[in-house]
Amino acid sequence: MTMPLLQVENLGIHFGPTVDPVKAVDGISFSMQAGETLAVVGESGSGKSVTALALTRLLASPPARYVSGSIAFEGRDVLQLREGELRSLRGKQIAYIFQEPGSSLNPVFTIGYQIREAIELHRPEVRDVTAEIVHALDTVGIRNPASRLGDYPHQLSGGMQQRVMIAMALACQPKLLVADEPTTALDVTIQKQIMDLLKDLKRTSNMSILLITHNFGLVAGFADRVVVMFRGKIVETGPTAQVLQNPQHPYTKALIECVPKLGQKQHRLKVIDYAGIQ
Amino acid sequence: MTNIVPPPPLLKVEHLKVYFPILGGVFRRPVGEVKAVDDVSFTVNRGQTVGLVGESGSGKTTIGRAIIRLTQPTAGVISYQDKAISKLDSAAFRPYRKKIQIIFQDPYNSLNPRFSIFEIIGEALEIHFPAMTRADRRERVAGLLDKVGLKRDHLDRYPHEFSGGQRQRVGIARALAVNPEFIVCDEPVSALDVSVQAQIVNLLQDLQEELGLTYLFIAHDLAVVEHISDYVLVMNQGKIVEAASAEAIYENPQHDYTRKLLSAVPKL
Amino acid sequence: MNSISLSQETYTQRLWRHFHADKFALNGLRIVILLFIVAALAPFLANSHALIRVADGHVSFPIFLSLEPIEWRFLLYVPLAGLVYFFRHRFIAHPGIFILAVIGFIAAVEIFLALTHPINDPTNDRDRPASFKLLPPIPYSPIESTPDQFSPPTWKHLCGTDSTGRDIAARMLHGARTSLSIGFVAQSIALTIGIALGGLAGYYRSWLDIGICRFIEVMDCFPPLLFILVAISLFESQNNMFYIMAVIGLTSWTGVARLVRGEFLRLSSLPFTLAAKAIGANDFRIIVRHLLPNALGPILVAGTFGVASAILIESSLSFLGFGMQAPTPSWGDILSDARRYIDFAWWLAFFPGLAILITIMSYNFVGEGLRDAVDPRLKMK
Repeated sequence: MTMPLLQVENLGIHFGPTVDPVKAVDGISFSMQAGETLAVVGESGSGKSVTALALTRLLASPPARYVSGSIAFEGRDVLQLREGELRSLRGKQIAYIFQEPGSSLNPVFTIGYQIREAIELHRPEVRDVTAEIVHALDTVGIRNPASRLGDYPHQLSGGMQQRVMIAMALACQPKLLVADEPTTALDVTIQKQIMDLLKDLKRTSNMSILLITHNFGLVAGFADRVVVMFRGKIVETGPTAQVLQNPQHPYTKALIECVPKLGQKQHRLKVIDYAGIQ
Repeated sequence: MTNIVPPPPLLKVEHLKVYFPILGGVFRRPVGEVKAVDDVSFTVNRGQTVGLVGESGSGKTTIGRAIIRLTQPTAGVISYQDKAISKLDSAAFRPYRKKIQIIFQDPYNSLNPRFSIFEIIGEALEIHFPAMTRADRRERVAGLLDKVGLKRDHLDRYPHEFSGGQRQRVGIARALAVNPEFIVCDEPVSALDVSVQAQIVNLLQDLQEELGLTYLFIAHDLAVVEHISDYVLVMNQGKIVEAASAEAIYENPQHDYTRKLLSAVPKL
Repeated sequence: MNSISLSQETYTQRLWRHFHADKFALNGLRIVILLFIVAALAPFLANSHALIRVADGHVSFPIFLSLEPIEWRFLLYVPLAGLVYFFRHRFIAHPGIFILAVIGFIAAVEIFLALTHPINDPTNDRDRPASFKLLPPIPYSPIESTPDQFSPPTWKHLCGTDSTGRDIAARMLHGARTSLSIGFVAQSIALTIGIALGGLAGYYRSWLDIGICRFIEVMDCFPPLLFILVAISLFESQNNMFYIMAVIGLTSWTGVARLVRGEFLRLSSLPFTLAAKAIGANDFRIIVRHLLPNALGPILVAGTFGVASAILIESSLSFLGFGMQAPTPSWGDILSDARRYIDFAWWLAFFPGLAILITIMSYNFVGEGLRDAVDPRLKMK
């Protein structure tokens, strides 16, 4: 078996006082192969976003404390890298898209300029940057990309802004794309478009995608494998189809069941019985 | 066919139009207008839940706000129990503030960060029942907290101490404080995790059964709307494109846009 | 992210915790408070009258003869306000007796002042014989000319004397009252106008907003100092302290108004304001209970910086010769005197300059500390 792209071992991240800390991430381990799509599913406060940010140490320390474990990206431990090495890791190797596309883009620069900046920073070898930008925008399904370079973020809808964010991430040709709740702030119709786009990218490129979400509905038909997090710990992990059809942990089962389903009108939606979960 | 005359609908919206002017220039004169709601008519019967579904910018939130008079309609009539309420002045509308309430989407910005939970929920009582003593108000607010699944010792806490789902419960308790009949639920679960969404949807349904409430449930997710609603209105670009019972919308969608919304729901 | 920072502290507690952690701000606040105490006690710290005097078997307190009516009022009404605040709960229970007592006290003080003042008491206890006398730390009054002219700082005159032999230390202590009270009152006037107009513009919008905004723009077209100089020259005959306060206040409210307008625009479209409207809260209630408390942080920050700039404006005015009338000491006034003798009497410029610098810096540190503390982004830290 080849070396995994990403190998997280016994990662522990604490906040707050050293005595009785908030254990946001409590000794988790998982790995990702190159080209694989992994979904981390959990509720707010489960530690899934903290984990995502920790992958390039975007989570500032303090207040966060990396108390244990390692994050090996292509064999190098991210937790041991110096700040300069981290900067070349971020964006170029591991790119992010976040929940709020509106606030992730700088409102005073055009989208063309912002993508150009990313390319010039991480891929100085590119000769024709404009062509590269147009190509990136074309890849994320923005029609007539050459004419949109001069647009400012506020001129675009939320879904288009998220596409631009993805284009910016792709322009640097990262090995891993971390999508942290990429559709939570969007309408379901736009959510579908963005998820379809991510599916296309998954099919056409060899990029690995780490999807962070609270909604099991997005995982089906997208991720190869699933990691379910609950209160800082991984409670279940496995191939997506297997987890969805035959969840082992009661929390996983509850999290799948609470997604409302069309055409199966129940008297009440299923809710998670926290008391019954150990 | 029966000869019984059906009771009048609790809420009736007829040819509602809400246009927002686009202002420009030093003196901010109108230079155009946005047709947020463009000739919309529907009715809501007592005890029913009517779902209003559409994308951002479809005008669904504006309809909710026009009903509760946070926005002035440009044209059309909104009637409550056969009385036109959309043209009443604010003093005449005051009694209806007790009957019609609203729950907001954003659980973080919908509660005044400087108020305690007691002050947030009790404010409506202070306004509408000035004779009520503070002790009585506390008792009533404590009862409301119990109803929405919060605890009495949350009374003197502040919003930032609560999670999104708990805040939304506070928002529901605030709406319930004056014993309303009709509640506009303006995307009450859109900003919540699916697990919390299920809790809040169930709470709304429990409260409806217990208190005989009538809901206008606004959302962009057809799965949630189909679950909670008896009747569904599909809105697109300021107009209602399809109106049918929840079952019919799912089983036999008529409009392309409805089909698009249906296909957007993630399938497990 | 939010679940991590769940805590039980109120907004005010959080504000104070952040402020407290900022050493510059905290020390700035300490200095400002110290300055206010010094200013309040100025007649007891620098005075030619003895605090206690024993002569011919009589014990007397000559210092009280030197107090101006305004100092008497300050001395008696501040404790009165404290008492009223302390017993506010009983006040609610027995408002009639309470109001009567307060009015009675004020009447007694005013009648006493009207009967006894002005006192023209030129006595100088410093040199008068007595079996025992306790003089203030600086035994000179700020308007008294001593025979030592242009004395450099010595043990006798800690900060030296000026061309007419007046003690600079005494003048500085009394000048602190002028500078601080002008800063405070002028900025209070500016805040009142700014909050009122900015609040109306931000809340009611439409034509009121347009009108107020254009008015602010017109006001901002004039350089403030020019504005003040014109205003002062129009009413030259009355340039006493209150007049200067009013002029500075009336010309420096535009920044506050813009700020409050912006905050009100933002806050009044937030759902919690809409929720208040939906439960039937009237405009007054929404403004006073919902909008103002939420805008208070930034207003406080602006107010603090504003006090510093008002003190600077007053000093500039005095320096230019448009400030307080002759005998009233103020820091800017001492500086203005220093201009002519700067080549040999360095202390005339040094001490008031230092006092202004320290005061302005302290206020700015407090302002910056407050600004950081009210910054919502801090919640994540």
